Amino acid sequence: MKEQEMRTEAYSEESYPPMPTKTTLFWRRFWPWQVIRWIVLNIKILRIVVGGHS
Amino acid sequence: MAKILVLGAGISGHTASTWLKKKLGKKHDVIVVAPTMHYHWIPSNIWIGVGRMTPDQVKFRLENRYKKSGIIFKQAKAVSIHPEGNEKSDRGYVTIEYTGQDKIGETETVEYDFLINATGPQLKFDATEGLGPGKNTVSVCSFSHAAEAWEKLKESIERMEKGEKQKFIIGTGHPGATCQGAAFEYILNVHYEIAKRKLEHLAEFKWLTNEYEVGDFGMGGAYIKRGGYITSTKTFAESFLKERNIGWIKRAGVKKVEPGKIFYELLDGTEHEETFDFSMLIPAFSGPGMKAYNKKGEDITSVLFAPNGFMKVDADYTKKPFEEWKASDWPSTYQNPDYKNIFAAGIAFAPPHPISKPMFSPNGTGIFPAPPRTGMPSGVIGKVIADNIIDWIKKGDDSLKHKASMARMGAACIVSAGFGHFKGAAATMTVFPIVQDWEKYPTYGRDLRYTVGEAGLAGHWLKWFMHYMFLHKAKGYPFWWLLPE
Repeated sequence: MKEQEMRTEAYSEESYPPMPTKTTLFWRRFWPWQVIRWIVLNIKILRIVVGGHS
Repeated sequence: MAKILVLGAGISGHTASTWLKKKLGKKHDVIVVAPTMHYHWIPSNIWIGVGRMTPDQVKFRLENRYKKSGIIFKQAKAVSIHPEGNEKSDRGYVTIEYTGQDKIGETETVEYDFLINATGPQLKFDATEGLGPGKNTVSVCSFSHAAEAWEKLKESIERMEKGEKQKFIIGTGHPGATCQGAAFEYILNVHYEIAKRKLEHLAEFKWLTNEYEVGDFGMGGAYIKRGGYITSTKTFAESFLKERNIGWIKRAGVKKVEPGKIFYELLDGTEHEETFDFSMLIPAFSGPGMKAYNKKGEDITSVLFAPNGFMKVDADYTKKPFEEWKASDWPSTYQNPDYKNIFAAGIAFAPPHPISKPMFSPNGTGIFPAPPRTGMPSGVIGKVIADNIIDWIKKGDDSLKHKASMARMGAACIVSAGFGHFKGAAATMTVFPIVQDWEKYPTYGRDLRYTVGEAGLAGHWLKWFMHYMFLHKAKGYPFWWLLPE
């Protein structure tokens, strides 16, 4: 949905959370950066898998 | 020769049985009793529910898989457990009733030396009037439910294509329902499919939840490092919804669903209703309702099971205020305290207490999520129980050295929110440990190095990767045992 179509009414629940900026959205889709994040997330998940049981 | 009986072939039961057979070989019998003929990778149900996958892509026949490995498979449901045997024998046994294999309705007794109860939950649609498939809402809890959900969603999309407005309400359908993650994933995927068809202007979305705050996910929420702050998953989850113009109703316990209308109570005790055109609401879960009897034939169901039907294990079930519960209350070996050769894995074990703070409305309705035990913890628990039984049989070591407490175990929850190699998106959440340990991590209850909340393509790739990896593992394809739980 285009930004101008979204209404943010003050004092409504929906008015408080942060919205991603265009730059944030770009990094979420920029695949070279996401490859790095994929590796990082894999390492973190592996670490908690291995550390979670004996 | 030992005989190990596994009830259930979901993530936990399947992990336990395949691991047991691999390590114990032909010398010992591993028997699996499960009411359905298929294994199915539940996390991918969401993609069935939006028409991106077919049920055949997430399931396979258990009989063929088990035949190859030498596991005895009985397509049946367990009816009663007799841990002390009967007048003729001291050996424990389970009464089963066949649901397939050309023996539908036939009963049989299956003796065991070790019993693993991994039955998973019973979906209690009946706990909410008018809820569930065949009634007024859809579900994504099984592949057939998800396929039906897609049929209904398709109808809504077709109406929108004709210019009709549609209201989508997705979330939890009972004041004590859990599995918020699956519902959250579903609403994001439904939104993606509608946005992709450029029909957003005709759609109204509402997230309906029993959580105190959005992002609680039945585990009391979590704290993550993000944007230069340590922030709660409330902010993370709400931001995800707001970005898609999805509104939310929180602290809501659904009481009744009529065609096109949901009736719910809020934590403040007020009653409300909401109209809808399409609704997917997760039901309450309970144990499968098995009975237990002692040697004399007396009912000992309450000895083996908690009132909600889940099996008692090595947890501290003492009643105490929420603030006094500790990480150490959680079980680590999943052994039944009364019958040492019985274990409960995955959703089948009774948690000692909720992870989310219990909240009650002025009318006395408990409106808070039950603790989640699906996915990663289920696999790990199944493996740990199998390892302990293997040591017990092979080395005579009954000390249960292998442990996996949810208060020392992490979990990854990946919520897909799009589809395609470069168009996909996901919210990835990892928490460590699942149950907060306020003694070890006094500030946030969890280790922030491994508690992550992140949005992006990477999470979507991870979700894909897991789909293929875990199906590869479950099917017993080459080197399956190298893949972690």
